[in-house]
Amino acid sequence: MSKVVVIPCSGMGKVYGLIAREAALKVVRELKKNEAETKCLAYLVTGDEEIKNYMQGKKCITIDGCPKMCAAKNAKEAGAEVIEELKSIEFAKEKRAMKPGTATNLNEEGWEVVDYIADKIVEIIDNLEVK
Amino acid sequence: MKETKIGIVSCSGEECLGGTISRLATRKVLEKLRMGETVTICLPLFIAGGEEERLFAKVFPTIAVDGCSKLCAMRATEKYSGKVNAVVNVAEILGEEKALSELVSLKEMPQDYEEIVDKVANEICKKIDKIISDILTKEAMEELESQGKSGGGCCCGNC
Ligand code: SF4
Repeated sequence: MSKVVVIPCSGMGKVYGLIAREAALKVVRELKKNEAETKCLAYLVTGDEEIKNYMQGKKCITIDGCPKMCAAKNAKEAGAEVIEELKSIEFAKEKRAMKPGTATNLNEEGWEVVDYIADKIVEIIDNLEVK
Repeated sequence: MKETKIGIVSCSGEECLGGTISRLATRKVLEKLRMGETVTICLPLFIAGGEEERLFAKVFPTIAVDGCSKLCAMRATEKYSGKVNAVVNVAEILGEEKALSELVSLKEMPQDYEEIVDKVANEICKKIDKIISDILTKEAMEELESQGKSGGGCCCGNC
Protein backbone atom coordinates (compact mmCIF):
# COMPACT_ATOMS: atom_id res chain seq x y z
CA MET A 1 0.00 0.00 0.00
CA SER A 2 1.36 3.42 -0.84
CA LYS A 3 1.81 5.86 2.01
CA VAL A 4 -1.22 7.68 3.36
CA VAL A 5 -0.84 11.43 2.87
CA VAL A 6 -1.66 13.44 5.99
CA ILE A 7 -2.44 17.06 5.15
CA PRO A 8 -2.94 19.64 7.91
CA CYS A 9 -4.35 23.09 7.22
CA SER A 10 -1.58 24.82 9.26
CA GLY A 11 -3.72 27.99 9.30
CA MET A 12 -1.46 30.98 9.79
CA GLY A 13 -3.84 32.87 12.03
CA LYS A 14 -5.15 30.18 14.34
CA VAL A 15 -3.92 27.94 17.14
CA TYR A 16 -6.03 25.10 15.71
CA GLY A 17 -4.00 25.31 12.51
CA LEU A 18 -0.79 24.91 14.46
CA ILE A 19 -2.29 21.96 16.38
CA ALA A 20 -3.24 20.31 13.07
CA ARG A 21 0.27 20.87 11.72
CA GLU A 22 2.03 19.43 14.76
CA ALA A 23 -0.29 16.39 14.85
CA ALA A 24 0.45 15.63 11.20
CA LEU A 25 4.18 15.99 11.82
CA LYS A 26 4.07 13.68 14.83
CA VAL A 27 2.44 10.99 12.70
CA VAL A 28 4.73 11.24 9.69
CA ARG A 29 7.97 11.80 11.61
CA GLU A 30 7.48 9.54 14.61
CA LEU A 31 4.47 7.26 14.84
CA LYS A 32 3.94 6.09 11.25
CA LYS A 33 7.16 7.01 9.47
CA ASN A 34 6.88 4.17 6.96
CA GLU A 35 3.15 4.33 6.36
CA ALA A 36 2.45 8.04 6.23
CA GLU A 37 3.87 11.19 4.68
CA THR A 38 2.85 14.81 4.33
CA LYS A 39 2.90 17.29 1.50
CA CYS A 40 2.90 21.07 1.71
CA LEU A 41 -0.68 22.29 1.49
CA ALA A 42 0.49 25.55 -0.06
CA TYR A 43 2.05 23.53 -2.87
CA LEU A 44 -1.32 21.86 -3.50
CA VAL A 45 -2.93 25.28 -3.66
CA THR A 46 -0.69 26.32 -6.57
CA GLY A 47 -2.38 23.64 -8.71
CA ASP A 48 1.06 22.61 -10.02
CA GLU A 49 0.89 19.58 -12.35
CA GLU A 50 3.65 17.70 -10.51
CA ILE A 51 1.83 17.68 -7.17
CA LYS A 52 -1.54 17.05 -8.82
CA ASN A 53 -0.14 13.97 -10.54
CA TYR A 54 1.37 12.83 -7.27
CA MET A 55 -1.89 13.22 -5.35
CA GLN A 56 -4.13 11.47 -7.91
CA GLY A 57 -6.12 8.79 -6.07
CA LYS A 58 -3.82 8.89 -3.02
CA LYS A 59 -5.46 7.99 0.27
CA CYS A 60 -5.43 11.14 2.31
CA ILE A 61 -6.32 12.21 5.86
CA THR A 62 -6.89 15.92 6.32
CA ILE A 63 -6.89 17.93 9.56
CA ASP A 64 -8.55 21.31 9.48
CA GLY A 65 -8.54 24.07 12.06
CA CYS A 66 -11.76 25.87 11.15
CA PRO A 67 -15.09 25.19 9.42
CA LYS A 68 -13.77 26.44 6.07
CA MET A 69 -12.12 23.00 5.68
CA CYS A 70 -9.28 24.22 3.46
CA ALA A 71 -7.13 21.10 3.72
CA ALA A 72 -9.99 18.76 2.79
CA LYS A 73 -11.14 20.96 -0.09
CA ASN A 74 -7.65 21.50 -1.51
CA ALA A 75 -6.73 17.81 -1.23
CA LYS A 76 -9.89 16.81 -3.13
CA GLU A 77 -9.27 19.52 -5.72
CA ALA A 78 -5.80 18.02 -6.23
CA GLY A 79 -7.34 14.61 -6.96
CA ALA A 80 -6.74 12.78 -3.67
CA GLU A 81 -9.17 10.33 -2.10
CA VAL A 82 -9.89 11.95 1.25
CA ILE A 83 -10.72 9.08 3.60
CA GLU A 84 -11.10 11.16 6.78
CA GLU A 85 -11.71 14.86 7.31
CA LEU A 86 -10.64 15.64 10.88
CA LYS A 87 -11.21 18.93 12.69
CA SER A 88 -8.66 19.90 15.33
CA ILE A 89 -11.14 22.16 17.11
CA GLU A 90 -13.46 19.18 17.76
CA PHE A 91 -10.61 17.25 19.37
CA ALA A 92 -9.76 20.28 21.52
CA LYS A 93 -13.39 20.40 22.67
CA GLU A 94 -13.38 16.69 23.48
CA LYS A 95 -10.24 17.17 25.57
CA ARG A 96 -11.74 20.30 27.14
CA ALA A 97 -8.62 22.16 26.07
CA MET A 98 -10.07 25.65 25.88
CA LYS A 99 -6.77 27.53 25.90
CA PRO A 100 -4.31 25.42 23.91
CA GLY A 101 -1.89 28.29 23.21
CA THR A 102 -1.49 30.64 20.27
CA ALA A 103 -0.92 30.36 16.52
CA THR A 104 2.80 30.72 17.34
CA ASN A 105 3.24 28.39 20.30
CA LEU A 106 1.34 25.61 22.02
CA ASN A 107 1.10 25.16 25.77
CA GLU A 108 0.76 21.86 27.61
CA GLU A 109 -2.96 21.65 26.81
CA GLY A 110 -2.20 22.24 23.15
CA TRP A 111 0.43 19.49 22.99
CA GLU A 112 -2.04 17.10 24.63
CA VAL A 113 -4.52 17.77 21.83
CA VAL A 114 -1.72 17.20 19.31
CA ASP A 115 -1.03 13.75 20.82
CA TYR A 116 -4.72 12.94 20.90
CA ILE A 117 -5.20 13.75 17.19
CA ALA A 118 -2.00 11.93 16.24
CA ASP A 119 -3.26 8.78 18.03
CA LYS A 120 -6.57 9.06 16.18
CA ILE A 121 -4.73 9.23 12.84
CA VAL A 122 -2.64 6.19 13.75
CA GLU A 123 -5.87 4.32 14.53
CA ILE A 124 -7.30 5.23 11.12
CA ILE A 125 -4.12 4.07 9.36
CA ASP A 126 -4.03 0.83 11.35
CA ASN A 127 -7.62 0.11 10.36
CA LEU A 128 -6.72 0.62 6.72
CA GLU A 129 -3.86 -1.84 7.02
CA VAL A 130 -6.07 -4.48 8.61
CA LYS A 131 -8.70 -4.24 5.85
CA MET B 1 -0.59 58.58 4.51
CA LYS B 2 -4.01 57.00 4.07
CA GLU B 3 -4.21 54.11 6.53
CA THR B 4 -2.55 51.21 4.72
CA LYS B 5 -1.94 47.75 6.05
CA ILE B 6 0.50 45.34 4.46
CA GLY B 7 -0.73 41.82 3.72
CA ILE B 8 1.66 38.97 4.43
CA VAL B 9 0.98 35.58 2.87
CA SER B 10 3.23 32.79 4.13
CA CYS B 11 3.61 29.27 2.82
CA SER B 12 4.16 27.55 6.22
CA GLY B 13 5.29 24.50 4.19
CA GLU B 14 4.94 21.25 6.14
CA GLU B 15 7.71 19.36 4.37
CA CYS B 16 10.82 21.26 5.35
CA LEU B 17 12.50 23.59 7.80
CA GLY B 18 12.09 26.53 5.39
CA GLY B 19 8.31 26.32 5.73
CA THR B 20 8.46 26.26 9.51
CA ILE B 21 10.75 29.28 9.52
CA SER B 22 8.40 31.09 7.10
CA ARG B 23 5.57 30.50 9.53
CA LEU B 24 7.48 31.62 12.63
CA ALA B 25 8.98 34.70 11.01
CA THR B 26 5.59 35.76 9.65
CA ARG B 27 4.01 35.27 13.08
CA LYS B 28 6.76 37.37 14.66
CA VAL B 29 6.14 40.22 12.23
CA LEU B 30 2.36 40.06 12.71
CA GLU B 31 2.49 39.77 16.49
CA LYS B 32 5.51 41.83 17.47
CA LEU B 33 7.55 43.71 14.91
CA ARG B 34 4.77 45.23 12.81
CA MET B 35 1.67 44.60 14.88
CA GLY B 36 -1.25 46.72 13.69
CA GLU B 37 0.45 47.48 10.37
CA THR B 38 0.16 43.99 8.95
CA VAL B 39 -2.59 41.47 8.23
CA THR B 40 -2.55 37.92 6.97
CA ILE B 41 -4.76 35.32 5.38
CA CYS B 42 -4.52 31.52 5.40
CA LEU B 43 -3.08 30.73 1.99
CA PRO B 44 -5.30 27.65 1.30
CA LEU B 45 -8.36 29.88 1.60
CA PHE B 46 -7.66 31.10 -1.92
CA ILE B 47 -9.24 27.88 -3.15
CA ALA B 48 -11.53 27.02 -0.25
CA GLY B 49 -12.73 30.52 0.49
CA GLY B 50 -14.74 32.97 -1.51
CA GLU B 51 -14.29 36.22 -3.38
CA GLU B 52 -13.37 38.03 -0.17
CA GLU B 53 -10.13 36.08 0.16
CA ARG B 54 -9.31 36.40 -3.50
CA LEU B 55 -9.63 40.18 -3.24
CA PHE B 56 -6.83 40.14 -0.66
CA ALA B 57 -3.93 41.18 -2.89
CA LYS B 58 -6.10 43.72 -4.64
CA VAL B 59 -6.98 45.41 -1.35
CA PHE B 60 -3.60 45.21 0.41
CA PRO B 61 -0.03 45.65 -0.82
CA THR B 62 1.22 42.09 -0.34
CA ILE B 63 4.43 40.27 0.58
CA ALA B 64 4.79 36.51 -0.03
CA VAL B 65 6.99 34.56 2.39
CA ASP B 66 8.16 31.22 1.00
CA GLY B 67 10.15 28.36 2.47
CA CYS B 68 11.88 27.25 -0.72
CA SER B 69 12.38 28.18 -4.33
CA LYS B 70 9.08 26.60 -5.37
CA LEU B 71 7.64 29.91 -4.14
CA CYS B 72 4.15 28.50 -3.48
CA ALA B 73 2.85 31.50 -1.54
CA MET B 74 3.84 33.85 -4.33
CA ARG B 75 2.47 31.61 -7.09
CA ALA B 76 -0.84 30.86 -5.35
CA THR B 77 -1.38 34.53 -4.50
CA GLU B 78 -0.68 35.61 -8.04
CA LYS B 79 -2.85 32.84 -9.49
CA TYR B 80 -5.94 33.56 -7.40
CA SER B 81 -5.56 37.05 -6.09
CA GLY B 82 -3.13 39.45 -7.73
CA LYS B 83 0.49 40.46 -8.17
CA VAL B 84 2.53 40.51 -4.95
CA ASN B 85 4.67 43.56 -4.16
CA ALA B 86 7.60 41.58 -2.77
CA VAL B 87 8.82 38.05 -2.04
CA VAL B 88 10.95 36.75 0.81
CA ASN B 89 12.49 33.36 -0.01
CA VAL B 90 13.76 31.68 3.15
CA ALA B 91 16.00 29.36 1.12
CA GLU B 92 17.95 32.37 -0.15
CA ILE B 93 18.58 33.49 3.41
CA LEU B 94 19.22 30.06 4.93
CA GLY B 95 20.82 28.30 2.00
CA GLU B 96 18.81 25.80 -0.07
CA GLU B 97 20.18 22.72 1.69
CA LYS B 98 19.29 23.85 5.19
CA ALA B 99 15.91 25.20 4.11
CA LEU B 100 15.02 21.85 2.55
CA SER B 101 16.20 19.78 5.49
CA GLU B 102 13.50 17.83 7.22
CA LEU B 103 13.41 19.56 10.58
CA VAL B 104 9.90 20.79 10.88
CA SER B 105 8.12 20.39 14.22
CA LEU B 106 8.41 23.16 16.81
CA LYS B 107 9.84 20.47 19.10
CA GLU B 108 12.72 19.76 16.73
CA MET B 109 13.92 23.26 15.93
CA PRO B 110 17.67 23.67 15.51
CA GLN B 111 19.56 25.53 18.24
CA ASP B 112 20.12 28.62 16.15
CA TYR B 113 16.51 28.82 14.98
CA GLU B 114 15.66 32.07 16.79
CA GLU B 115 18.51 33.78 14.98
CA ILE B 116 17.23 32.46 11.66
CA VAL B 117 13.65 33.54 12.44
CA ASP B 118 14.94 37.03 13.29
CA LYS B 119 16.89 37.24 10.04
CA VAL B 120 13.84 36.31 7.98
CA ALA B 121 11.54 38.57 10.03
CA ASN B 122 13.93 41.48 9.50
CA GLU B 123 13.93 40.80 5.79
CA ILE B 124 10.10 40.94 5.81
CA CYS B 125 10.27 44.24 7.73
CA LYS B 126 12.68 45.70 5.17
CA LYS B 127 10.19 44.85 2.41
CA ILE B 128 7.38 46.43 4.45
CA ASP B 129 9.39 49.64 4.92
CA LYS B 130 10.19 49.79 1.21
CA ILE B 131 6.52 49.35 0.25
CA ILE B 132 5.45 52.07 2.71
CA SER B 133 8.15 54.42 1.50
CA ASP B 134 7.05 53.84 -2.12
CA ILE B 135 3.44 54.59 -1.16
CA LEU B 136 4.47 57.80 0.63
CA THR B 137 6.56 58.92 -2.33
CA LYS B 138 3.68 58.23 -4.70
CA GLU B 139 1.24 60.14 -2.51
CA ALA B 140 3.64 63.08 -2.24
CA MET B 141 4.09 63.18 -6.01
CA GLU B 142 0.33 63.10 -6.53
CA GLU B 143 -0.12 65.89 -4.01
CA LEU B 144 2.51 68.02 -5.71
CA GLU B 145 0.99 67.37 -9.06
CA SER B 146 -2.47 68.38 -7.92
CA GLN B 147 -1.10 71.57 -6.32
CA GLY B 148 0.75 72.34 -9.50
CA LYS B 149 -2.45 71.95 -11.50
CA SER B 150 -4.60 74.05 -9.19
CA GLY B 151 -2.34 76.93 -8.23
CA GLY B 152 0.78 76.78 -10.34
CA GLY B 153 2.92 77.62 -7.25
CA CYS B 154 6.22 76.03 -6.25
CA CYS B 155 6.69 73.30 -3.65
CA CYS B 156 7.62 75.66 -0.77
CA GLY B 157 3.95 76.34 -0.07
CA ASN B 158 4.52 80.13 0.30
CA CYS B 159 4.11 81.17 -3.29
S1 SF4 C 1 7.53 27.12 -0.98
FE1 SF4 C 1 8.55 25.19 -0.53
S2 SF4 C 1 8.26 24.95 1.70
FE2 SF4 C 1 6.77 26.48 1.02
S3 SF4 C 1 4.90 25.30 0.59
FE3 SF4 C 1 6.05 25.46 -1.34
S4 SF4 C 1 7.26 23.57 -1.44
FE4 SF4 C 1 6.59 23.82 0.70
